Amino acid sequence: MKQSNEIIAGLIGNPNCGKTSLFNSLTGLNQHVGNFPGITVDKKTGIVKLPNSTFIELLDFPGCYSLYPSSSDEKVVVDVLSNIDNEAYPDFIIYIVDATDMDRQFLLASQIRDLGLPILMVLTMKDLADERGLKFDLPMIEKEFGFPVLFYSNKTKENLSEIKDHLFSYRKLLLPEKLSSPLEKKRRWLNRSISNSHDNCNCCQGESCELHNTYMKSIGSLIEVSTTNSYYKLSQTESKLIESCGDLLKSNTPYQALIQVQHSSWLNHLSTEVKNKIEEEKKKLNFNSISAQIEETLFRYQKFTPVIKKAVKVPRPVGLTVTDKIDQVITHKIMGPFLFFALMFLVFQGIFSWAKYPMDLIEYAFNALSNWTASVLPAGWFSDLLVEGVLAGVGGVMVFIPQIFFLFLMIGIMEEIGYMSRVVYMFDQLMQRFGLNGRSLVSLISGGACAIPAIMSARTIGDKKERLITILVTPLISCSARIPVYTILIGFAVPDMNVGPFNARGLAFMGLYLLGIAMAMFSAFVMKYLFKSSGRSFLMLSMPEYKQPIFKNVAYFVKEKVGAFILEAGKIILMISIVLWGLASYGPVEKMKLAELEAKHIGLENNLSIEQTNNLIASKKIESSYAGHLGKWIEPAIKPLGFDWKIGIALITSFAAREVFVGTMATIYSIGSETQASSIKDRMATEINYVTGEKVYSQATSWSLLIFYVFALQCISTLAITKKETGSWKWPIIQFFYLGILAYLSSFTVYSLLS
Amino acid sequence: MLIKSKSSSGFMSILDLQKGESGKIVDYLDMEIASRLLTLGLVPNTQIKYIRKSPFGGAHYIKFNGHSIALREEEASSIVITK
Repeated sequence: MKQSNEIIAGLIGNPNCGKTSLFNSLTGLNQHVGNFPGITVDKKTGIVKLPNSTFIELLDFPGCYSLYPSSSDEKVVVDVLSNIDNEAYPDFIIYIVDATDMDRQFLLASQIRDLGLPILMVLTMKDLADERGLKFDLPMIEKEFGFPVLFYSNKTKENLSEIKDHLFSYRKLLLPEKLSSPLEKKRRWLNRSISNSHDNCNCCQGESCELHNTYMKSIGSLIEVSTTNSYYKLSQTESKLIESCGDLLKSNTPYQALIQVQHSSWLNHLSTEVKNKIEEEKKKLNFNSISAQIEETLFRYQKFTPVIKKAVKVPRPVGLTVTDKIDQVITHKIMGPFLFFALMFLVFQGIFSWAKYPMDLIEYAFNALSNWTASVLPAGWFSDLLVEGVLAGVGGVMVFIPQIFFLFLMIGIMEEIGYMSRVVYMFDQLMQRFGLNGRSLVSLISGGACAIPAIMSARTIGDKKERLITILVTPLISCSARIPVYTILIGFAVPDMNVGPFNARGLAFMGLYLLGIAMAMFSAFVMKYLFKSSGRSFLMLSMPEYKQPIFKNVAYFVKEKVGAFILEAGKIILMISIVLWGLASYGPVEKMKLAELEAKHIGLENNLSIEQTNNLIASKKIESSYAGHLGKWIEPAIKPLGFDWKIGIALITSFAAREVFVGTMATIYSIGSETQASSIKDRMATEINYVTGEKVYSQATSWSLLIFYVFALQCISTLAITKKETGSWKWPIIQFFYLGILAYLSSFTVYSLLS
Repeated sequence: MLIKSKSSSGFMSILDLQKGESGKIVDYLDMEIASRLLTLGLVPNTQIKYIRKSPFGGAHYIKFNGHSIALREEEASSIVITK
C-alpha cells in the first residue's frame, strides 16, 4: 500500500456549500484529477502551499449530505472515510459550511467527528450572511463540537491567510507522528496525549499561542470522542452488533465500525467473508438498517439544533427573496420550459458561430505545421508517420476543443448560478416517462459537445437503472465530431435552396440533431421496460439560491471537462489515428507498387498535372492498402446501405473520431488530403472520379450515410468511457451493437426508399 | 413510522396544501424516503410551504427554513403534516 509522507486534508461539505471556491482559492493551479483507488469517481487533489515552503495535499470529496449516501458520488465519501487503510484516507478534514443555511449541515459534520477525524470548520459565504444580518456565536459552536470554526468569504477572500495559518499548524502537529508511525497511520489518534503533541509543535516553541490552543481543544476533545464520548450515543443493538463483528473490522472509533456495518453490502474494502459475517450478525440481532439510520439522524438533529439556533441569530425573512421572484418566472409552468428551449437554441447557435473561428485557426495551424514538417524531414515512413499519423491525430483532437469549451462554459455558468437544478426540477417528470432522471438532461445537453464528459457527468444520478440508460443513450446526441460529417454530406443530399424563410440545408442539419434526440428518448423508453429496476429512484433535489457566477469556478469546471475530453478521448484518438495511418499506408508490397505504377500511367495518358497525379497515387495506394482490403472485405455487408468499399474504409477510419471520415474521403477520392475542410466540401460536391467518371455521391447514399452517422457508435473513446463508468465490458458491447443495428436498419430503410 | 409530536389530529399530506400554504411536519409514511428527507433537513416540526407544481407535473417545489427543494409526487406525499 502506498503511504503518502505528506499530510492529506479532506475537503468535505454539502453540495453547493462553496467548497469548490475554497478548493480553487487554496490550491490555485496546483490541482489535478485522478481516480480513487478501485472506484471510478474522479479524485480531485491539489497542493496548498504554506509558509516555509511547506505544503499539504488537499483532497476534494464530492458534495455529500450524510454518511448514509444516495448517489455514487456520495458513496465515495463513505467508501474512503470508512477505510482507514485507504491511501486517500485523510489526516484531517476541512469541513465547509454555507453560513447562510446552517441548520442541516451539522449532520454530516457531527458524523465525521464521530469517525475520529480532526476537523477544521470553515463557514463560507460570510459576505452573504452579513448582508442578511445573520449573527454568529462561533465559540458556542466550537464548544459544542470541539473543533475550531473560521469564516471565509468567497468574494473578499479576507480570511484565506488565516485558514492557511491553521493548516500550517495542523500540519506541524500531525506530520511528526505520521512519519514516526506510518504503519499505525490512523490509530495513533487513539493513543496520543495532549502534552506529547505539544512537544512536537514548533509553532510557538512550547509556549502556548492562541492558534495552538484552539487546535489543542480540537485534539483534546477528539481523544475523548474517539475513546469515550461520541457525539451520537450508539443504541444497544448497534453496540452489540459492533462488538460481535469487532474483530473483523478495522476502525478508529465505534461509529466508524458502525458505518462499515451499515454499508457492508457495497463497501469496496470489505472482503466477502467479512460481508457475510456481518449479514449473519445483522440477522441474528434483527438489526433494521433504515430505522437505525433514522434514529441516529433524529438523535443528531435533536442534539445540535438547539445549539445552532442559539449560536446563529437569523432575522425573520421579509416577503419574497430574490430567488423566489426569479423562480416565479424561471420555473413557471409555461414560461419555464419555453425559456429553457429558447436558451438552448441560443446556446447552440452561439457555440457554432463562436467556435468556427478558433476551429478554422487550429485547422490552419495544423495544416501549416504538417506542411512544414513534411518539408523539413526527409521523405519516408517516419515523416509520413509524423504528419499523417501523429499530427493528424493531435489536430483531430485539438479541433474539437473550441466547441467543447464553449458548451461547457455555458453549462458551467448555468450550474454556477443555480439554473441547472431548476432545469432538473422542471423536466424530471418528463424524463421519468422515458426511464430517465431530471439529472439525465445535463448529460444529454453535454452530449452535444462530446459524449465522454457527458457520460461522466451521469455520476450525479443516484438510481442505477436511470444512470445506465443515460449512459447508453447519450451517444445518440449529435456531438461536435459529427458536425463536419453532417456539413459535407448535407451538401450532397440537400440542394442549396430555401424552404420558406429557412435554408433547406440548415433545416436538414437541425433535423439530424432532432432525430438523434428523438431516438435517444425512444431508446430510453424501450430500455425502461427491458431493464429491471435495482431499487427505488428518488429526486429530492435541493435548489440553491441564485448567485452571481464566480469566474474562477466556471473556469475550473470548463478546465475539468475539456481536460476529461483531452485525457480520455485524446489518447485513444491519437492511438487509433496512428494505427489507421499504418493500415492506410501499408499493404502487400507488390500490390502497393503496382498501384503506384498504374496511377502514374493513368496520369501520363490523361495529361494530369503533377498534383493530380500525386493525388491519384494516394488514392490508388489506399485502395491497395490493408485499409483498402478491409473496406473491400466489409463491402458485401454495407452494400445494401448504398455504401461501396471506399465508404467502408471511411467508416473504419472514423472509429478514431467521426470527423476523420472527411479526411479519408478526401484521400480516397484523390482530392488531396491537405486541402481545407471547407474546400473539400465544394470540390467533392462536383468531384468526379478521374478514371470512371461517375459521380461521387448519389442522394440516396448521402442520406443513408447521414442517418448512419446519426445513430452508429463510431467512437472507440465512448466505448472506453462506458466501460470505465459501468465497470464491465458488457455495457459498451451492448451499446455498440444496439446502436450499430439501429444505424444499419435505419440506413437500409432510407436507402431503399430513396433509390 | 411513529414520531412523538404534540399534535395528533388533522393529519394531511403536503400535497393537500394549496399554493402558498404551510404546514408542520409531524411524521412520514415511508421509512426509506424519510431517511433521505431527514438528511436534507426535513425533520419533524419543520414548517414547510408548498410553492408550485412542475411544468410537466410529477414534481413539487417546496420551501422550508429558507431552502428550496424539489420533491417527486411519491416523496412529497409521504410527508405527513398538520396545518
